[in-house]
Amino acid sequence: MENEVLPVDKIQQLCQGGSGVSDFGDVLVVGGGVSGIQASLDLATAGFKVYLVETGPSIGGNMAKLDKTFPTNDCSM
Amino acid sequence: MKEDKCDICRGVCQADAIDFRQTPKKRDINVGAVILAVGIEPFDPKTKDEYGYGRMENVVTSMDYERLLSSTGPFAGEVLRLSDKKHPKKIAWIQCVGSRRLTEGENSYCSGVCCTYTQKQVILTKGHDADVDCTIFHNDIRAFGKDFERYFQRAEELPGTRFIRSYVAIDRELPESKNVVIKYATNDAGVKEEEFDLVVLSVGLNPPENFRELADKFGIDLNHHGFSRAIHSNPIATNQPGIFVSGAFQGPTDIPESVFTASGAGAQCGELLDYRRGKLANERVYPEERDVSFEEPRIGVFVCHCGANISSVVNVPATVEYALTLPNVVYAQEQLFSCATNSAQQITDLAKEKGLNRIVIAACSPRTLEPLFRDTLREAGLNQYYCDMANIREHCSWVHTKQKEDATRKAKDIVRMSVARTRYLEPLQEFDLPVNPRALVVGGGIAGMTTALSIAEQGHEVELIEKNNDLGGMARRLHTTIEGMEVQPFLKETIRKVYANPLIHVSHNAKITDVSGFLGNFSATVATEGRVKKIEYGAAVLAIGADEYQPSEYLYGENDKVFTHLEIGEEIAAGNEAVTRADSLVMIQCVGCRNEERNYCSRVCCSHAVKNALKLKANKPEMEIYILFRDMRTYGLREDYYRDAAEMGVKFIRFEMDDQPQVEAVKAGGKDILRVSVPDLILGKRLELDADIVSLAAAVVPAAATAEIAGMFKVALSPDEFFKEAHVKLKPVEFAADGVYLCGTAHYPKHIQETINQAYGAAGRVLTLLSQDTVTASGSICEVHEDDCVSCGACITACSYDAIEFKQTDKGRKAWVNPVLCKGDGLCNAKCPTNAIVLKHFTDAELLSQIDAA
Amino acid sequence: METVAPFNEIVDEIKAAGGEIFKMCFQCGLCDSVCPWNRVRPFSMRKLIREAAFGLTDVEGEELWLCTTCGNCALQCPRQVKQIDISVSLRRIATEYQVFPTSVKPVRTMSGSLVGEGNPLNEARGKRGDWAKEYGVKPFSEDMEILYFVGCYLSYDARLKKVAAATAEVLKKAGVNFGILGEKENCCGESIRKAGDESVFKRLATDNIKTFIDNGVKKILVSSPHCYHTLKNEYPEFMVHFEIVHVAQYLAELIAAGRLKVDGELAKKVTYHDPCYLGRHNDIFDEPREVLGKVGKLELVEMADSRKKSLCCGGGGGRIWMETANSERFSNLRLEQAREVGAEILVTACPYCITNFEESRLNLELGEVLEIKDISEIINDAVK
Ligand SMILES: Cc1cc2nc3c(=O)[nH]c(=O)nc-3n(C[C@H](O)[C@H](O)[C@H](O)COP(=O)(O)OP(=O)(O)OC[C@H]3O[C@@H](n4cnc5c(N)ncnc54)[C@H](O)[C@@H]3O)c2cc1C
Ligand code: SF4
Ligand code: SF4
Ligand code: SF4
Ligand code: SF4
Repeated sequence: MENEVLPVDKIQQLCQGGSGVSDFGDVLVVGGGVSGIQASLDLATAGFKVYLVETGPSIGGNMAKLDKTFPTNDCSM
Repeated sequence: MKEDKCDICRGVCQADAIDFRQTPKKRDINVGAVILAVGIEPFDPKTKDEYGYGRMENVVTSMDYERLLSSTGPFAGEVLRLSDKKHPKKIAWIQCVGSRRLTEGENSYCSGVCCTYTQKQVILTKGHDADVDCTIFHNDIRAFGKDFERYFQRAEELPGTRFIRSYVAIDRELPESKNVVIKYATNDAGVKEEEFDLVVLSVGLNPPENFRELADKFGIDLNHHGFSRAIHSNPIATNQPGIFVSGAFQGPTDIPESVFTASGAGAQCGELLDYRRGKLANERVYPEERDVSFEEPRIGVFVCHCGANISSVVNVPATVEYALTLPNVVYAQEQLFSCATNSAQQITDLAKEKGLNRIVIAACSPRTLEPLFRDTLREAGLNQYYCDMANIREHCSWVHTKQKEDATRKAKDIVRMSVARTRYLEPLQEFDLPVNPRALVVGGGIAGMTTALSIAEQGHEVELIEKNNDLGGMARRLHTTIEGMEVQPFLKETIRKVYANPLIHVSHNAKITDVSGFLGNFSATVATEGRVKKIEYGAAVLAIGADEYQPSEYLYGENDKVFTHLEIGEEIAAGNEAVTRADSLVMIQCVGCRNEERNYCSRVCCSHAVKNALKLKANKPEMEIYILFRDMRTYGLREDYYRDAAEMGVKFIRFEMDDQPQVEAVKAGGKDILRVSVPDLILGKRLELDADIVSLAAAVVPAAATAEIAGMFKVALSPDEFFKEAHVKLKPVEFAADGVYLCGTAHYPKHIQETINQAYGAAGRVLTLLSQDTVTASGSICEVHEDDCVSCGACITACSYDAIEFKQTDKGRKAWVNPVLCKGDGLCNAKCPTNAIVLKHFTDAELLSQIDAA
Repeated sequence: METVAPFNEIVDEIKAAGGEIFKMCFQCGLCDSVCPWNRVRPFSMRKLIREAAFGLTDVEGEELWLCTTCGNCALQCPRQVKQIDISVSLRRIATEYQVFPTSVKPVRTMSGSLVGEGNPLNEARGKRGDWAKEYGVKPFSEDMEILYFVGCYLSYDARLKKVAAATAEVLKKAGVNFGILGEKENCCGESIRKAGDESVFKRLATDNIKTFIDNGVKKILVSSPHCYHTLKNEYPEFMVHFEIVHVAQYLAELIAAGRLKVDGELAKKVTYHDPCYLGRHNDIFDEPREVLGKVGKLELVEMADSRKKSLCCGGGGGRIWMETANSERFSNLRLEQAREVGAEILVTACPYCITNFEESRLNLELGEVLEIKDISEIINDAVK
């Protein structure tokens, strides 16, 4: 995993490739709990290509295991 | 067994969700930024034998209990004991399991969520069966969040609920009944022993199991608890540029905070990657819409099981069969979860295959899922308004759990009505409006500045409106945070960045006098330094902060030795020796809130008291400091500082509302002192403390202008008169009014770091709007048949959104609906004497047919 | 409600006496919930700590003498308050002022005897090694493998001398080359220290240490967990380190090394009581069970409160010398627990436990149905 941010011109160059290049994204989100999902949705809406990775077989994290959630007591699904 | 797998589940799973052939595939991905949202892991009490978990059948964790409460849980929503599958009649919750404990294997911090989720479980339990006796054993109730205090009271006031202040010994399991015996301490009646049918361990939150590996992989620093090491000035950032954290990986947090830190992390990615926005993302392409308006209605009905939420009560197959008998219904089937991706695909496919042109989804509330199903219709090449949702969950299965047959009959009725209406549905067009890319931020405190900077960093102009001479707000009066951040240098730097940013325009001494317009196209009139500006903008963030309560209690304002915590902080920073060299100092908590008048907790003052005490003790270790409190609410990682203060010799004394401290100015030993008396519940005696200085935890109250601003921006207030967000969890930083956002203490009291988190969150949400060239307005809005309009104006008065105005037409002055402002609530329809104004998608024909079918 | 002001002079005294940790208590009540006293009468460690925090301790009262130092609360306290240190600090102050409630009065006699004769039982120092004569136990010399530090109760008490004898015999059967110090041995000082007399403790400890050094002692075998605890964990305060082994551990060691063959049988239902100072305080839970498991036909059953949760016999913290009303004895409850699981023999590994249990056995008239044994007695009988 690259720790430093890629140089800007490199990224721009990659972006020129257009959306045909499948393994280039803008943001990698690690963790598909409520926080990871929200971040992914926001970024996608704001025009970024997002990869969401989750160790488990489904997304939802801890919230998906809750019945209803405080303080509104609505369903968490 | 094939390939060492028994394979039974695959046959049983109705959703076909099990596929053993899936294998992990390795893929290399190149990205410009990373967000770590790896969350938390519930504490595992098996590691501590004392809790009896795994040893006693009727000791469960709160996570297990969530599953018991859930209709998709092991007993389909019935709370049953594992030992005998009977309904427990007496349940105990044990708080702080795995939290606030220095014992090996447990966490020293407070997990922050378990007090409130326990109250939720109590409320839900009582909803299942009002006769269950619920007892909660705790040491502090940490109801520090917005509306938490009221929520706690709601739980506490339920008959048969007891909150008992004691940690407990889970003593033994009775061999016959498998009941669990608990021992707990009382203040005056010694140790009591009590038998419970079921014991729920309110387990805390651990960092994710693999946190070390992750941290190594990404090269980020963790704190000693295993959470991301927060950068004080920006908890979303890490020591690695381009790598951000959101959610509970920052430290234990609840859902709302997990959501807005997510938006905040989004904003920070946006700052970094703005130059490439939109370059990689694919636009969704929908098939061309088929014109079916001339066709005979061909309705498809999909009845959802919702796991077991619906099907455990309503007979779903029978409902499907019934639907097939209804006029114009050409197809019907059941689905396990209609909202699942594969189900949506199925609907799309069937619509094409069977030539359906209208769809009824008999499932849950349209509030959350209607957009999804509309999207499904678009995928099928149909106008999205040809969809109707028959709510057979909230309106049927959830409310009639006990009457299965009647519920099935009702479900059929609801479906029949929906089908009747669907026959008359008309295709509607949504339309696009241009978005002004500029943002308005009201309030120049940390929240407003942080939001403004983040929006500007993402390439948008920002108008920042500050009512005072200077930027900075409340933070000007704060010097350090409990975590040790120096506030003033940070503030200076933030202010400098704001002024230095060419995209941010600051108005000082400014007052907003008028606001008009609609989503994406607002305009505000601002009086600033002798002139009046008109500002056009696409989105607004309200960050007007909060004020400090001016106490009338405890001699404040009468005696110059009585301060507020905020003032004491300033005196410490200024080196006032009367304070820093005092021999004895008493702090009194919860002044002006957690009472009838202000029924909320100000959230910051417990930590504030601890922070000041630590500072004073560091200066003069022999100073006697007493903190008189009701519940110590040093939630989350702040618990460590509470403990540090005890370690430094600060004495904490708990008092109850019905016997509060008393302060008296007296002369003793030739000097003027303040005599504070307070009962100590453990001693059973009143303590009399002689203090040189008294400091009050004055409440945080809504900023003076809150109501006025709310009126202008047409946004709502919460019961406590702070700004009210659209939805606590789903939309924590937006208002119900589109295009208006909020952050900081204007929303609710919060610490600086939380404010920064939320401010980035608001910026993130603003960008989801401002980064669009256009917004789409709903097709379900009102329309005036000009021929019928008699220009009486009744509709204009009725509309809560100022969406209707008179317009000059060639037929004269007629009412006109601004399609962007109209929310489609239809109030005007009812008022119009001539039925000239109609709400599309809810026309008389549509509704009457539905009613006729009832 | 009475009004009082904090008494800072007393607070300072308590701090000086080693009880400052009271400041960490956040009044959760867990200590009270787990304390064995609350099974027989109300007692609030939490309140004792709270009083200490404000200097409001009743120095003449009985409460500060109650804690048996069983360690239950300390193990679970979320703030890691060392309740035992607080109790001891308060007792130090009471000892300093020489104020003892009636039930505690015997402690004064004990400490006199400790100073004069090196034991709390008013027995002559010269007779300390008498029990060993008939078993031919030799005085310790430097070339020996191990020193057997017998302890006061095993040296003088009629019932416990049998335990000393059994230990000596089993050691011989294993061919261990060991010796005793006889009249040169002093009480280890553990209990008098917990009873608040630090100076007597220091005197006993330094005397013992000097004797150990003079005699070239390296490894020490003890029969009492109290000796074990203080020799192992407290004597190092004097900058010395000896290898300490409790008889339960040593038996396990000898068996593992093949030096001791447990070839006998005991067709009885046996339960094992974890002494506080062996189990909770020093984490020795498995070895005694392992050793008992070697005895053929022996059926080992566990009582309701075992291992970490073991119910104190009531003898720690100097309580062995103080008066406890019959209705308030933990040992009575413990014997009932043993009966509940159908045990015929209650085995333990501590002289105080045996003393208390034997007394309860008489009081509860269980003479016919329940035997009390030390682990060394069981093993000695099971080795030919
Ligand atoms: C019993 C209980 C009840 C609760 N009730 C409530 C409530 O009523 N209301 C409320 O507001 N809060 C409640 N909470 C708290 C709530 O669950 C959390 O605030 C929230 O779920 C945190 O969301 P998150 O996305 O940050 O973390 P999580 O939900 O923990 O999600 C993190 C996700 O990341 C994944 N992940 C971890 N590591 C990796 C990796 N290396 N690579 C890829 N994926 C990874 C995890 O599998 C998980 O899916 C409750 C908590 C508990 C334990
Ligand atoms: S005090 Fe903190 S750790 Fe304890 S239950 Fe409440 S929120 Fe959880
Ligand atoms: S002092 Fe403040 S934070 Fe603490 S409980 Fe009272 S209102 Fe809440
Ligand atoms: S268990 Fe510890 S923190 Fe709790 S009351 Fe007892 S001493 Fe205080
Ligand atoms: S050590 Fe044992 S006897 Fe003493 S207070 Fe704690 S639990 Fe009670």
